[in-house]
Amino acid sequence: MSDLSVQFAGVSKKYPHFALENIDLELPTGSIMGFIGANGAGKSTTIRILMGLVHQDCGSVQVLGHPMPSDQAAAKLDIGFVSEDMRLYGPATLAWHMDFLRPIYPRWDQSYADKLVQRFDLKPQQKIKGLSHGQRVKAALLLALSRRPRLLVLDEPTTGLDPVARHEVLQELMAVLADEDRTILFSSHNTLDVEQISDQITFIDRGRIIDSDDKEAFLDRWRRLRLVLPPDGSIPRLPGVVEVGGSNRLPVLTTNRFEPAMVSVCNDLGATVQAVDTMTLEEIFVANVHCRRERLTA
Amino acid sequence: MHSDIVISQSDGRPMYLQIMEQVKQRVAVGDWIPGEEIPSIRQLAVSLSVSVITVKRAYLELERDSIILTQQGKGSIVAPNPDLAPRLFHEEFSEHLEQVARLGDLLGLSSDEIAHRTRDASNRLSEARFTKETLCKETP
Amino acid sequence: MNYSMVKTLILKDWYFQRTAILLAFAGGAISLGIVCTGSQAAFTIGLILLVTVMAMISAMTVMGNVLGERENQTLAFAMTLPISYVEYTTSKILGNLLIFVPFWLTILAGCLGLIVATPAIHGFFAFTVIMAVEILLSTCLMIAVALVTESKGWSISAMVTGNLALNVVGYLVAHLPGIKEGIFGTQIYWTPAATISVAIEFALIALFLGGAFYIQSRKKDFI
Repeated sequence: MSDLSVQFAGVSKKYPHFALENIDLELPTGSIMGFIGANGAGKSTTIRILMGLVHQDCGSVQVLGHPMPSDQAAAKLDIGFVSEDMRLYGPATLAWHMDFLRPIYPRWDQSYADKLVQRFDLKPQQKIKGLSHGQRVKAALLLALSRRPRLLVLDEPTTGLDPVARHEVLQELMAVLADEDRTILFSSHNTLDVEQISDQITFIDRGRIIDSDDKEAFLDRWRRLRLVLPPDGSIPRLPGVVEVGGSNRLPVLTTNRFEPAMVSVCNDLGATVQAVDTMTLEEIFVANVHCRRERLTA
Repeated sequence: MHSDIVISQSDGRPMYLQIMEQVKQRVAVGDWIPGEEIPSIRQLAVSLSVSVITVKRAYLELERDSIILTQQGKGSIVAPNPDLAPRLFHEEFSEHLEQVARLGDLLGLSSDEIAHRTRDASNRLSEARFTKETLCKETP
Repeated sequence: MNYSMVKTLILKDWYFQRTAILLAFAGGAISLGIVCTGSQAAFTIGLILLVTVMAMISAMTVMGNVLGERENQTLAFAMTLPISYVEYTTSKILGNLLIFVPFWLTILAGCLGLIVATPAIHGFFAFTVIMAVEILLSTCLMIAVALVTESKGWSISAMVTGNLALNVVGYLVAHLPGIKEGIFGTQIYWTPAATISVAIEFALIALFLGGAFYIQSRKKDFI
């Protein structure tokens, strides 16, 4: 069980206009978890609680074996953190930041930092305040990666990056995982990135975790079934159907519990399965959220 | 060990299937020979920027299909006698045939008409491939 | 408490305020020079200048390095270093005091030296000490308020309160039994009243700083 880098159990946090409720999260060491949610869903709050920047009202948080927030100083020695609303010191240069961090982190790897400077096309002697948004994100990432952390926590790492920079960043993130003792948690709107590199995926909406599973399982479970019904036919009852669209004779069922056997079941019930479409992570997420919100208002 | 596998994001099929197909192709054309070491799951994941779990799945399926062998703690190799019969394609083909039969029935087509239409579709595919090959030869 | 991290944080803060700190020390040196020219008028002007410079330093360092973190959104960067509120709060309090106190001590020593050398103003000794500690007190108040509230509005209020208090306390102390008798005299004296005044001031300093530390420890949202 040393195998969990991060563990949340029953974590809650209340704010005047928002509440995080009963968050359970398990992140195995050596894997990468993508954290998807709409704006204001609670991704940033969860991540801040993970970093000890915000204290939970109840529930336990363990990060790299350290209880948070009480043992946060020790935990943070092994964590690299980059967030959208975190800034580096404007009047200082990237080189200054590297010199500042190097004595603090015992595993700091300056040769790797130098390599990243090249890779990310940054100039160490340039002041941070003179950098573009994309360059600042890459600089912050470089500083986080160069300390060779056991856990990398990223809040929207690719937001605002041009496609080339995004590609470079994703490659560097994957390179981190070449070492199976290192773990990554990142939150993103960019479902394509999450779909590509995540091992685990967690959906969060309105302060609650609405689904969490390994990525291939997600992609396997969700399907859109396009059916053709005979004139007097009715829609077959299938498990896990969260949405029914299309027309009366050409219904489209969205299910989150797909099995190949469903196709023959439909056929036996008189509904021809015209197509079984896989769904992208984005489609799955939107369907999941719609279904849940509808259920809440019903 | 860098692989030369290239994944396309716009390919609609699941990533693990793409990886499987590329591995099979390399074995089929002889780029990767039986008994040769192939990239480990993690190495391939890193070089493709694809999640480990996806590569793991591809490797599991490839092993199930006897294309590769994974030795505990020692990485993976091409199987000594890889079986390249596209078992999955056979299954998919049969499924589609069942569908064609049903739809034809719904439309009121006879068996002959269904067979005729199927042959037409196959011919069209051959023509398209021939045209593409011709174009490629003509292009400098 | 991780002393090495506290030191790193303090040095970092000083690095970013190096220009302001140097200017303040220059201003202080000039004011002290004026005071030392010896005349009564120079003494008064110089003293006012000194107090002004001291007020400016405290405002500038506190606003700069405490409030600045929140304003420039660098608080997250600091808090994601391997520290907890203990190191952060200590570094802010110590970092500010370590700039202010040497300056303050030098000026206090200078003033007292002048008083001792000038028989005409010997009587100001006790009063000067008490007022100097009062200035230290109002600086500590401002540091504490800035740390705990992280608000410009509240910090400025604390600064204004400190300045007003200076005048009020100045008046009160000058008329305090045990002080008022000798203040315009030509004797250096020290009375129990003076001791008690200074003791109360230091107790308040401990209260403000300790209180700030305590409140920081109970903060649940550091960002």
